[in-house]
Amino acid sequence: MLEVTELTKYFSSGLIRKQYQRAVDGVSFTIKNGETLGLVGESGCGKTTVGRLILRLTKPTDGTVLFDGIDLFALNRRELLAIRPRIQMIFQDPDSSLNPRMKIGTSIAEPLKLHGTIPEVKRKQRIKELIETVGLNPEHINRYPYQLSGGQNQRVVLARILALNPDLIIADEPTSSLDVSVQAQILNLMRDLQKEFNHTYLFISHDLDVVRIMADRIAVMYLGRLIEIGETRDIYDHAKHPYTQALLSAAAVDGKTEQNVLEGETSSPLDTPTGCRFNTRCPYREEICAIKEPELVEVGRDHYVACHIA
Amino acid sequence: MILKISKLKTHFSTPDGLVRAVDTIDLSIRERETVGLIGETGCGKTVLGLTITRLLQSSTTVKGTIIYKETNLLKISETEMRRIRGDEIAMILQNPTTSLNPVMRVGEQIAEVIRLHQGLNKKDAAEKAIKMLGSVRIPSPSQRANEYPHEFSGGMKQRVMIAMGLACNPSLIIADEPTKGLDVTIKSQIIKLLKEVTKEKAMLLITHDLSVARALCDRIALMYAGELVECAPAGEIFDAPRHPYTRGFLGSLPRNGLVPIPGMSPSLINLPQGCRFHPRCANAKAICKRKHPGMTEIEDGHFVRCFDA
Repeated sequence: MLEVTELTKYFSSGLIRKQYQRAVDGVSFTIKNGETLGLVGESGCGKTTVGRLILRLTKPTDGTVLFDGIDLFALNRRELLAIRPRIQMIFQDPDSSLNPRMKIGTSIAEPLKLHGTIPEVKRKQRIKELIETVGLNPEHINRYPYQLSGGQNQRVVLARILALNPDLIIADEPTSSLDVSVQAQILNLMRDLQKEFNHTYLFISHDLDVVRIMADRIAVMYLGRLIEIGETRDIYDHAKHPYTQALLSAAAVDGKTEQNVLEGETSSPLDTPTGCRFNTRCPYREEICAIKEPELVEVGRDHYVACHIA
Repeated sequence: MILKISKLKTHFSTPDGLVRAVDTIDLSIRERETVGLIGETGCGKTVLGLTITRLLQSSTTVKGTIIYKETNLLKISETEMRRIRGDEIAMILQNPTTSLNPVMRVGEQIAEVIRLHQGLNKKDAAEKAIKMLGSVRIPSPSQRANEYPHEFSGGMKQRVMIAMGLACNPSLIIADEPTKGLDVTIKSQIIKLLKEVTKEKAMLLITHDLSVARALCDRIALMYAGELVECAPAGEIFDAPRHPYTRGFLGSLPRNGLVPIPGMSPSLINLPQGCRFHPRCANAKAICKRKHPGMTEIEDGHFVRCFDA
């Protein structure tokens, strides 16, 4: 369904002495039809940039993305517009994803109008259907985003996306601004919709608990590199990379077990460490780690790790 | 008992009506105890913290008593309150980026607090500020003290906020979402640090994050729609929750099965009759719609506001 190969994005800064920020550096993965791939990492690891690159919201430095066999980076403007309805994105903050001066109904009608998928006479009926699919009432059609809660607005965002019948949905931290009880509602809705419409998800999140229940497979990023990828169960039960292990341990706070707290902070992407990018914080660091950058190696069925020691 | 809050009400009048943000709350904190105040957006937990430190606008209606070591904080003058704030009760706010002055060196910001409260001269205060930065494990503190907030990462800024809060050696700390917006690995560093530095102090930890509360608190109080609904030792809250809201809250966590609570929290202007949780409660009975339940002690130290518990 989606095949990402050696995806790379460098941001340059500085006029005379150019500095390159290696936001995404040679990331490769595939997502099968109807599957959910969880993309996990901390702020600044490049996970959002990966999502934006696939949608071509930013220009890639290198790499290819094949969507259903179509090379997305080779498309011209018109071809790109034609394919966009099939790939949609959900952003973090629902309140700023909606036009505050547009009624909910108008917001949902917008994609229908732009892509002309449905004749005007049937549009009202379709909007009503969509509103009900995402669990809102038809009375919400004439309200404004400020009159709805964050959870309800995220439902509106989902309705807009469904209007286009997409195949691939890139969800970038869709519930990070919501309360837990509302988060559960939205995540359940996303899972139900996936089952009903056979969506493929790229689910970007920093919350390992959320990814665990949403994703079939998980990819972990650190400083622009993919460091571990595998099936959800393998990642949770047999994480091989020290960073993945630390992330899991940090998420499993229960007040009883002693935590494996990582020292230090992520290095700046402007000045990435040589060798393994994690070596400055790694508790198991050896000599080779500071010299050679590890490649992804298969350590189990469909389980790849980039670590010299694992 | 270091802090005893009784029948506290904080109401705001707005053009839309009276907002009952804190509505008849009783809560006490013992010496060296950490109490977690848990609730979702808009339940009034932050307002409670601001009421204790009297940081709300003077137009707010506050009723009830807040006894801090025999002094009723609601009765004393602003001058006395200013001495207690920082000296006795320190507040660590959420969002360190907006809480620090962007055009003032970090060391000076901490030294300012020390000068004002402890009357040290400039040089001694600056030295103490460096010592404080070291105590929250900021590497090379004397150099970092001369830097500006924008040169610090989010986790480091939160450390600065904690250093500032601890600078005058307060007995009570009110920490409002101290780990909000931090990455998980940084979050565990801050939890570890808070655990170490508050060993000898009492703390009210305001958060929506149960994992943080679990790691730090002795007792936990759950707040819903302006009032407490359950209050018990931390272990009991997690192992034997009694209020339907507490159960729903725990059940909606991804690791506990992701079972959402239907509906959403009521507006604090237009609260439901009877039990405030009844429109979302699966076990709601006729009495729940009519009568507002009081807090009952069902076991030693375990209080629940529910007819069914």
